[in-house]
Amino acid sequence: MRRLGVLLLASALCGVTVGSAASLALATQGLGAAHLTVPRCTSGGLGVLPNLAGTSVISVTVRSLPGACGGATIQVAVNNGSDSSSGSDTVAGGGGSVTVALANLVPATTTEQIDIVLVGP
Amino acid sequence: MTRPALLVALACAFALGTVVSGSVRVGSAASLNLSSQNLTPYLTCVITATPSTTSAVTDATVDEANPTTNLAAATTLTVATKSGSNGRAYIKFSLSGCTPSIPSSATLRAATLRVYVSATQPGCQTIDVFPVASSWTEAGITWNNQPFGTTVNNPASGSRTASFDAGSGGCANNPGSYISGADVSADVAAFISGSATNYGWMLRNDSESATPPRTVTFSAKDLGTLSQAPQLIVTYVTTP
Repeated sequence: MRRLGVLLLASALCGVTVGSAASLALATQGLGAAHLTVPRCTSGGLGVLPNLAGTSVISVTVRSLPGACGGATIQVAVNNGSDSSSGSDTVAGGGGSVTVALANLVPATTTEQIDIVLVGP
Repeated sequence: MTRPALLVALACAFALGTVVSGSVRVGSAASLNLSSQNLTPYLTCVITATPSTTSAVTDATVDEANPTTNLAAATTLTVATKSGSNGRAYIKFSLSGCTPSIPSSATLRAATLRVYVSATQPGCQTIDVFPVASSWTEAGITWNNQPFGTTVNNPASGSRTASFDAGSGGCANNPGSYISGADVSADVAAFISGSATNYGWMLRNDSESATPPRTVTFSAKDLGTLSQAPQLIVTYVTTP
């Protein structure tokens, strides 16, 4: 009985630590969200230009990439609301521009959404 | 170590095991942080004046020499400088067609107006781009009722959003190609945030009623040629 009492007492005391750990985990999630505002390889304006082959988008040129993005993988997806395609390439060491070829043609329409993600470097 | 102390130590070790589990979560979060620092997501909405019947883009020329005539059906947008015969182009892109819609909280990274130079005369002409401050309709706009009024060289060039040169020879933008792009980011940012209403832009020669007279024409929506259609390209992020 005495052992059980000691065990419960010890667990209760250490439970404070467990509580702290849980709080720490939540706090870390909060920190994670906060870290989303940390500048990445660029927070500047990129020139985005869909390139046509006939009446369809065949590739996307992304310009004004800073040198800090050199070596990053650039992923591009084009969606016209009914058709979509994507492609990826690597940003050259000095940045600049890159033309990402799409896997498939996407018919050009009045509005197209182009998603660009730079991963790394 | 006494037995009670040993039990306390074991219990604490058990509890600390949870802490270690917690630290796994911390580790995961740290990994997420690391990834999110290295991800740069951009969203771009491209609005193109196609097909020629689309209502998402409206454009028209107004001509001082034909002050009550609506020229919206013309296949070109004409910017002219000539005493008594100045010409201006109005163009508007609806941002509401973007899918997904651009949230008002979005941070704009770039907005570029692109028009195709179909013809010019020798020499560079500077074309000014002004945000329009009041409503107009494609079917109703004329020189006499245009939002900026009939006074030439109004508004002053200093209030322009952007400008670009167009012409043959050594000009930056030659006939038979799109202009490299007019930066209208400040205007579009205001449209998105709601601090200004989107009435589009007016293009005019930097010096109206000039001598010698000069004309620059751009392909209009009504030309119906996709590869020459006016475009607005808006790039933004939803997380600063």
